Amino acid sequence: MPEYTLMAFLSVPIVVAIDLVVLRTRLLLTVRYWLSMAIVLGFMVLVDGWLTKLSAPIVLYSEEATSGVRFPWDIPVEDFGFGISMCTLVLILWVRAAPRQPSHDVPRALHESDHLPSADRA
Amino acid sequence: MPDSWQYLALMGACLLITLPLELFPGVRVWRAPRRLATALLPVIVVFVIWDLIGIAREHWTYAARYVTGLDLGPMPVEELVFFVTIPICTVLTWEAVGSILRVLRSSGGVRERMRAASRVAGVEARGEAGRGGAA
Repeated sequence: MPEYTLMAFLSVPIVVAIDLVVLRTRLLLTVRYWLSMAIVLGFMVLVDGWLTKLSAPIVLYSEEATSGVRFPWDIPVEDFGFGISMCTLVLILWVRAAPRQPSHDVPRALHESDHLPSADRA
Repeated sequence: MPDSWQYLALMGACLLITLPLELFPGVRVWRAPRRLATALLPVIVVFVIWDLIGIAREHWTYAARYVTGLDLGPMPVEELVFFVTIPICTVLTWEAVGSILRVLRSSGGVRERMRAASRVAGVEARGEAGRGGAA
């Protein structure tokens, strides 16, 4: 398998393991994660599509290191592995870096979104 | 705009487009710089290393025409900007989605909570009657 292809598609299960097993942030089990990633993926196609368009590429890929599969537009599919891993990892670390909730009796559904500064002040 | 700014301009556009998300209720990303740095630093380290491997192993190269020519070793400075910009946009998206879900849940959940409150009140009233002035 081409090197970039291998690295890109190995990075995803590594990040999944970080979320579910290593740090147990369990973002992948939330609706919020999948909604966010759907939006991020939409913009990833636009930005990466611009970076990789074969008519005027900013980034050029080696044929030996990639599968040659480009979709959509001219985006090497490997870039989605790279991008999904990067975006998921930053969300895991962002959630992990959330300030501690002072009260323990707030229902889970209300405080799962890290903090409610406006509600606290109200 | 000179072509050499194209990559940087694209990153600037990403930051500009996502900036208003900071105004969603409860969203604090730009205003939580320490937390943001804590989340970003390991990502930058890991993905700069990956980038350096990719460059060294010739997985990809950059079109000289669309980058400033400012390099950090073998890596264009634009790549570092990318590893800062895209994660910030991602965190802003996550926070904005959280903000919207909170609004939806609290508006949809009002009736639910009132029902729960009246149930609790009912239980307490019955409890009072049962104890019959023992207090």
